[in-house]
Amino acid sequence: MQKRVVFRSRLLPYLLVLPQIAITVAFFFWPSYQALESSFFIEDAFGFSREWVWLENYYELFRDPGYLKSFRTTLVFGFSVAFLAMAISLILAVAANRVIKAATGYRTLLIWPYAVAPALAGVIWYFLMNPSLGIVAYWLKGIGVEWNHYVNGDQALLLVVVAAAWKQVSYNFLFFLAGLQSIPKSLIEAAAIDRAGPMRRFWSITFPLLTPTTFFLLVVNLVYAFFDTFALIHATTEGGPADATSILVFRVYNTGFIGQDYGSSAAQSVILMGMVILMTFIQFRYVERKVQY
Amino acid sequence: MATLNIKSLGKTYPGGVTAVSDVNADIADGEFIVLVGPSGCGKSTILRMIAGLEGITTGDLQIGERRVNDLEPGERDIAMVFQNYALYPHMSVRGNMEYGLKNEGLPKDQIATRIAEAARTLRLEEYLDRKPAQLSGGQRQRVAMGRAIVRDPKVFLFDEPLSNLDAKLRTQLRAELKALHQRLGATFIYVTHDQVEAMSLADRIIIMNAGRVEQIGTPMDLYLRPASRFVADFIGSPAMNVVEGTVTEDRRGLLVDGSRDIRFAGEIPASAGAKVAMGIRPEHLSLDATGAAQFHLEVDFVEQLGADTVVHGKVSGTSVPLAVRLSGVQQHASGEVLELGCGADQLHLFDLSSGQRLN
Repeated sequence: MQKRVVFRSRLLPYLLVLPQIAITVAFFFWPSYQALESSFFIEDAFGFSREWVWLENYYELFRDPGYLKSFRTTLVFGFSVAFLAMAISLILAVAANRVIKAATGYRTLLIWPYAVAPALAGVIWYFLMNPSLGIVAYWLKGIGVEWNHYVNGDQALLLVVVAAAWKQVSYNFLFFLAGLQSIPKSLIEAAAIDRAGPMRRFWSITFPLLTPTTFFLLVVNLVYAFFDTFALIHATTEGGPADATSILVFRVYNTGFIGQDYGSSAAQSVILMGMVILMTFIQFRYVERKVQY
Repeated sequence: MATLNIKSLGKTYPGGVTAVSDVNADIADGEFIVLVGPSGCGKSTILRMIAGLEGITTGDLQIGERRVNDLEPGERDIAMVFQNYALYPHMSVRGNMEYGLKNEGLPKDQIATRIAEAARTLRLEEYLDRKPAQLSGGQRQRVAMGRAIVRDPKVFLFDEPLSNLDAKLRTQLRAELKALHQRLGATFIYVTHDQVEAMSLADRIIIMNAGRVEQIGTPMDLYLRPASRFVADFIGSPAMNVVEGTVTEDRRGLLVDGSRDIRFAGEIPASAGAKVAMGIRPEHLSLDATGAAQFHLEVDFVEQLGADTVVHGKVSGTSVPLAVRLSGVQQHASGEVLELGCGADQLHLFDLSSGQRLN
């Protein structure tokens, strides 16, 4: 049964949604349209003239090995962040779920990183890992690991993955904890009577029952890693060294604002927009559908 | 199949709340024991302690020859049917029944044989590949039982397994459960708050109140000779009449609300002036005024049930309510006064403050 509120006035509901629609049009639809339009032009760096080139910008992109590499980097980065953030938060949630009494304080502490701005999260990790003054880099040196993300591309990627994942752990933790608490205790007890040890109980009962939460978080984490990590990368590695951490969003900025190639930058934005639409579709099709109101 | 020995079992939670204290019971092999009592009396806690889901604070628990206090639930050789069934929602009916057997490491062919057998017994064959969500309440209940049966445990534990079902299905499953117990011959321990369920299922009933055992006995022990006022109140429907009063000087009557209407044929086992509660079941009162206790009833209204007639009224000259169950169809008008009596065995006397039985 759905509950519906019916307004008497026909005008009032439109007035109520008007602010949201105005904001959406001004800040989402209008720029999106502009990006779409620009992606069909080649414009000179100073914006004096532009030429309609059909899909030339897109062809150009997919012929560029740098762009294809950036695609691969984005996928590696996105899935690494999602996996790391989810694995850590699941472990923390399982631990918190056991000690539900003192959990309020524990939970509050775990939520804090979510309030940190992405750029700051990046900078914190940047300083920790800085080869000349970072404490972690110093420790790593102690155990024989030569850490220098200025020259080592893999290390740079690892740095941004860790920083991005750290920030997302809190969010995932909340959802996993809620998911765990919604699993009836009697199921776990039944499994204990059925001779399943703690590990087996987790993998055969708890984890499968968390699937809806896990899938939802996977989509959210991928969207976060693909699109929300620009500031973090900008503040730490600036896409380097040698484009090793240049994910697609960062490349849009680099091509447009540094390279001043507005057409190509716009085309990249449109491709990203397509990815967001696809992921939103997946989320609504497979995740939201299961939600009953 | 095994005996179960419970010795001064107690449970105190870390916060200092005592849920159960000093429970003693020796349960014979193959017995059907029902733990009954109002909610919060500790009956489920005892069951969970037997299962190993709650730690035991004091006392000893033995299943067969083994002391099991410190064993994990899976090592105790028990199976449990939960109130909400606790079926694994992501597994099929077969998966639910297999789970425990796989954990035991039983060979595949044996697992298949056992499941086929249990499915036949419980008429679940056509549902084996369905998920619990696709089953009705009664079917889920049977799957929960099937999951217990395939394990072939020494002791079956049931935690209010029928309370989520409608009345008709409950009656039907009660009969099936009784039949199942006879066929398996295993020890059953069954928790319920429903005294009818307890009376109809149990070989022996353990009746609990506020974390303590009030009485252990066969259903007829509890019905005919309740050890305390609590048991008298709890067992039987309609409930037992209880009249509170003071024993008269000659110890042959009861002073109720200033009325001396209630007279006894002999001296009662309580001192003069003692405050007591007299209990008589509605079905044990008769219109024959020659019994062990005699008094009058002012009729308020009559319930015609067909087979029986229940007359509701007050003890003459007082405002104490009383009900009488008479067999067959009987007509009595409001305001009419009936002479009543009951047999000596059917008169129960309890101390008013302790609630303990006096006669």
